[in-house]
Amino acid sequence: MENLQQNSTEEQKIRIIGFLCNWCSYGGADTAGVCRFKQPTDLRIIRIPCTGRMDPMFAIKALINGADGVLVSGCHPNDCHYSVGNFYARRRMEALKRFLPFVGIDTQRFHYTWVSASEGQVWQQVVTEFTEKIHQLGPNPGFHINPDIQQPLSLAL
Amino acid sequence: MNDKNKIIKQTFQKVFDDLEVVLGWKQGFDSLHMTPAFIRKASDLDQLVFNPQCVQNLSGYLFSTLKAADPEKQGKIGICVKGCDSRSLTALIQEGLVERDRVYIVGIPCEGVVDVKKLRNLKPSLTEISGITIEADEVVIEADGKTERFPIADVLAHKCLQCRYPNPLIYDALIGEPVTARVAQDAARPAVEQLDALSLEARRNFWLTEMDRCIRCYACRNACPMCVCQDSCIAETRSPKWLSQRSDISEKFLFHMIRTVHLAGRCTECGECMRVCPVDIPVTLLMEKMNCIVKELFDYEAGIDPESKPPLQTYDSSKTGI
Repeated sequence: MENLQQNSTEEQKIRIIGFLCNWCSYGGADTAGVCRFKQPTDLRIIRIPCTGRMDPMFAIKALINGADGVLVSGCHPNDCHYSVGNFYARRRMEALKRFLPFVGIDTQRFHYTWVSASEGQVWQQVVTEFTEKIHQLGPNPGFHINPDIQQPLSLAL
Repeated sequence: MNDKNKIIKQTFQKVFDDLEVVLGWKQGFDSLHMTPAFIRKASDLDQLVFNPQCVQNLSGYLFSTLKAADPEKQGKIGICVKGCDSRSLTALIQEGLVERDRVYIVGIPCEGVVDVKKLRNLKPSLTEISGITIEADEVVIEADGKTERFPIADVLAHKCLQCRYPNPLIYDALIGEPVTARVAQDAARPAVEQLDALSLEARRNFWLTEMDRCIRCYACRNACPMCVCQDSCIAETRSPKWLSQRSDISEKFLFHMIRTVHLAGRCTECGECMRVCPVDIPVTLLMEKMNCIVKELFDYEAGIDPESKPPLQTYDSSKTGI
């Protein structure tokens, strides 16, 4: 608890939302905790029943409303508890990841990966690397204020 | 042009007994605007027209018209489609939303339709239009007793300038001769490229400025032939409550992202969303970009093959594929 408070200084107010599959990555994160691996504390985890449940809108809503990063993690391909959930997810996440820069969201703020329940150490690595990257990028500017550009862009429509 | 109207009429006359209703275009409230026509009496077939002012994508009415049709009769619905409209129709068939044997499709090769807003800005004084024809890279407008020529980019709709499918891909009867596409099959989308060339910050500012104008009238959704949820759209449901009634840019933006995500791999770029937008937001660009990504990832285009499955409704079971 002391550690948590120490970490949340002004410059470090970073919020990362993690969507973790109940069967693998959530277990993996638990394993990492049980093994007492040191992890950054900026991640807020939301447990989903399968990455197949991961609506790309979850990530978009989080990013538009000011989350600084979104991390999605599920079972390795071929290991899905429901056989194919992560195959569907993989397509959606990849399309989303490539689309985000078009509307001005840094693609690095969104990451999807696979971590199994036994891979506590892998989980620690994933979280640490992703959090470091988000800290480098800094806070998400969000989508609330009209920048009032003096010379609007004229498009070849 | 009159010839085409006559052939369309004759084509429908031959099969009219099997049809419950015919969807076509007729003259609107003035000579500039054409409006969708729902024809139930053979005598009304005279009203049908086709010209570059027939901008509406009639496939958008198909799903609701079929739903409202008498289930006992199982009558067919006659419909006129341009090249782009035929893709929307194919996409609806692909997803099992429209049965192929319930529609009688009259395909019309199309050289492009006008953008009424562009035309109005160009010639605000136009009143009596007697004919608009498209010749190579010029649009010839006969109006008020004068003939004027304009470059196509100034008059034609955005979608027509980058149209790769001017000929209907699916039809029971074809009116007139097929035309050649204006651009190559793999041609880039200029406006999307222009945005892609900007910095992340500039792109974000562009969309913030555009989205700020949105009044959330949902016209883009209502006009979209693929937005079949209509009143059950998650933008309006209370549970789950995706959007609030606030007029914040983020809420408007979220609404457009709902459309982009839900149309990923389904949008046929018929441009209806952009045409109907009362505040001129280039909504189609979001779908166009998504389509580029879908093409890149899955080598797929919506509304081409009635038998194929949209890529996001299926999966690849290999270990490392997408």
